[in-house]
Amino acid sequence: MIEFKQVSKQYTEQLALDDLNLTIPTGDFFVLVGPSGSGKTTTLKMLNRLIEPTDGDIYFDNQRLIDYKLRDLRLQMGYVLQNIALFPNLTIQENIAIQAESLGWPRKERVARARALLEQVDLDPDQYATRMPSELSGGEQQRVGIIRALAIKPKVVLMDEPFSALDPLSRKQLQDLVLQLHRELKMTFVFVTHDMHEALRLGQHIAVMRLGHIQQVGTGEEIMHHPANEFVRGFFENEHTPRPATVQVLVSQGYGATTTTAATLPVTATVNELAAALKQGPVIVGTASGNRTLTTADLLDYLAQTEVE
Amino acid sequence: MQQIWHILHTQGGEIVQSIGQHIGLSLISLLIAAVIAIPLAIILMNHQRLAKVMLQITSILQTIPSLALLGILIPLVGIGTVPSIIALVIYAVMPIFQNTYSGLTTIDPSLEEAATAFGLSRRMKLLRIELPLALPMIISGIRIAMVMIIGTATLAALIGAGGLGTYILLGIETNNNALLIIGAVLSAILALVFGAGIDWLGRLSFKKAGIVLATLVVLIGGFAGYRQLTNTQTTLTVAGKLGSEPEILINMYKDLIEHDHPNIKVNTKANFGATSFLFKALQSGSIDIYPEFTGTVLESLVKTKQSASHSPAKTYQLAKSALKSQYQMAYLKPMAYQNGYDLAVTRQFSKKYHVKTISDLIQVENRVHAGFDPDFNQQKDGYPGLRQAYGLKFASVKTMEPSIRYKAIANGKVNLVDGYTTDPEVQEYHLVVLKDDRHFFPPYQGAPLMSEKLLTDHPELRTTLNKLAGKVTTTDMQKMNYQVSVKHQKAAVVARDYLRSHGFLN
Repeated sequence: MIEFKQVSKQYTEQLALDDLNLTIPTGDFFVLVGPSGSGKTTTLKMLNRLIEPTDGDIYFDNQRLIDYKLRDLRLQMGYVLQNIALFPNLTIQENIAIQAESLGWPRKERVARARALLEQVDLDPDQYATRMPSELSGGEQQRVGIIRALAIKPKVVLMDEPFSALDPLSRKQLQDLVLQLHRELKMTFVFVTHDMHEALRLGQHIAVMRLGHIQQVGTGEEIMHHPANEFVRGFFENEHTPRPATVQVLVSQGYGATTTTAATLPVTATVNELAAALKQGPVIVGTASGNRTLTTADLLDYLAQTEVE
Repeated sequence: MQQIWHILHTQGGEIVQSIGQHIGLSLISLLIAAVIAIPLAIILMNHQRLAKVMLQITSILQTIPSLALLGILIPLVGIGTVPSIIALVIYAVMPIFQNTYSGLTTIDPSLEEAATAFGLSRRMKLLRIELPLALPMIISGIRIAMVMIIGTATLAALIGAGGLGTYILLGIETNNNALLIIGAVLSAILALVFGAGIDWLGRLSFKKAGIVLATLVVLIGGFAGYRQLTNTQTTLTVAGKLGSEPEILINMYKDLIEHDHPNIKVNTKANFGATSFLFKALQSGSIDIYPEFTGTVLESLVKTKQSASHSPAKTYQLAKSALKSQYQMAYLKPMAYQNGYDLAVTRQFSKKYHVKTISDLIQVENRVHAGFDPDFNQQKDGYPGLRQAYGLKFASVKTMEPSIRYKAIANGKVNLVDGYTTDPEVQEYHLVVLKDDRHFFPPYQGAPLMSEKLLTDHPELRTTLNKLAGKVTTTDMQKMNYQVSVKHQKAAVVARDYLRSHGFLN
């Protein structure tokens, strides 16, 4: 169990956290959600003491964090970073086993553990174990980033907006993956995101934060149906107002084949306008990087994909 | 071009030796600089202010001109290899330090955060993450330092540390472009080869690169140690100034000493540097013997109230007693030849006007068109003094660079030049040296110079080296200089041939 008791963080210019009280049950999937500047990442980084509070105490298994030996504490916690941060000079296998290496596991065990984890996330160990991080796609890299945090079977796994830089499809797959891993491993997951949608999808408990204060803590159901205040309601609704997608979105996601034929539709046209135009056959759109042909199949693929999101 | 091939062919051994010296000097300096700079950067990587101060200091050191730096070091640590290495290290520290420091401090902060959050120990973080990530920067710093070192190491020849600079200096000194090109091109090639080597090292893994570096350290250390060990037998170091003549002389000394005393081994250091370097080296004991001119001793090495005498014997006595009283040095008897200023004309001119001495010029002074070295034209012991002593006034005098002067007389542009009595060009262009019948030019006779202590420890050297006293005429020396600097024969061979044919060796 993790408990924040009257925790504040004062930076010279601003108060990042103001008198925070929070309890995270053992084995929970706990999500901190809020816009930027809400203090959610600060809260997370206090758990592995990357950031120290200016006031108050944090308890982990009924012992104050500052009473742990710093290294011992950190070697009980896994950490997944927003920009993945695989060490580019180490192989995938070495990256996964870096904490195990720090704990002094024998090489054989480290290799076995790394390979088992790779297999668990559907990356063939024979193919991936000895590759360098730069040879992997973004989604694959973040999978490695996640299992790296699990390698030493930590009690707590901290995740700092791990999926915000990924494309929607990879994000969906990885959300499924962490849910599955959480079910299997029974560790406490603390997850930070600015995406209410993601919070609802993942969290058993969610804390909505704003400007260093907690607005509401509860299950997804509770927050959705009984928002504590206007901010929570607004934050939730914002996530649900669909923005009118333009053709630009499709093009920037790589749909359509390049062509030299003259454009028949501007990129600023909406998806609805595109659908209307497609009834007459394939459409050519002019973009900064050359013209592209869009077909009905492209539109359907795009819609199917946004639906999963 | 042909000349270059000829030199490479005949002096290949010496050139290879210089390359070896150059590489040794460069690698040792580079290693020392790396051993200083890299740990320093690691220590200072978390102390931004101190690191900035250090960067300032190393940058300031960088701006000291290399010659000035060598000049500063000579009174502190003498001459030879040590000051050269110190100077090179001082230059090399800055690029290595700067690159290592920025390599370590510009690592992606999220990687630093990850390493910290994973609870890696300081040591593991450094060895496993930070140093490998900074390695490309460190390697490029080492590369910059190395190119700089190989370039600057050519200056080491100035203070007797040898290396390829010897050929560059010698080339400038004797106006021999072939030597200059050999020295310059070889050091450029060295820089390229080592640049490629360091790149290769940079592509190896951290561990392998470490192994290669450690092997290099052991090899160089072992080599130096081996040389120390093999030096236990009595070894004398005989050095000479720049040029062919001193090199011939020191080889004669070597042959004579080793012939008479098989237990003594003689190392020769040819083209060791200019007069003051050699003299300081002798004082500090880095060398044991070197041939010096009587005139030079009086003019630049000792303090004397008397003006230089025009009698060779008196000059020698004066030089000998001054060296003994002021520096406790022994100056053995000089050889026969004189290497001083002279005047030379072509054979045709000499025959046509019956000119054999400088006095003979007086009758034909209106027909003399002289080409003089600018120094000679101005110095008191040059043309101005000569005019007074002989009452001469030539029809015209042009000043020109020493080597052009001989070409000018060969092409008929002038018909009289100044020169040194043993210049090989006298042979090459079939010139006639005019006798200084009024003994105006101060005498320059070569004789072995050494510390009195050496002579006390090895009294047998006196008899051996005195065998040359009064021997080796000016013509002999001219011929030998011609063989070495024009025909590019090895000085050692020319010296030995002379000693054999004149019965010094059997």
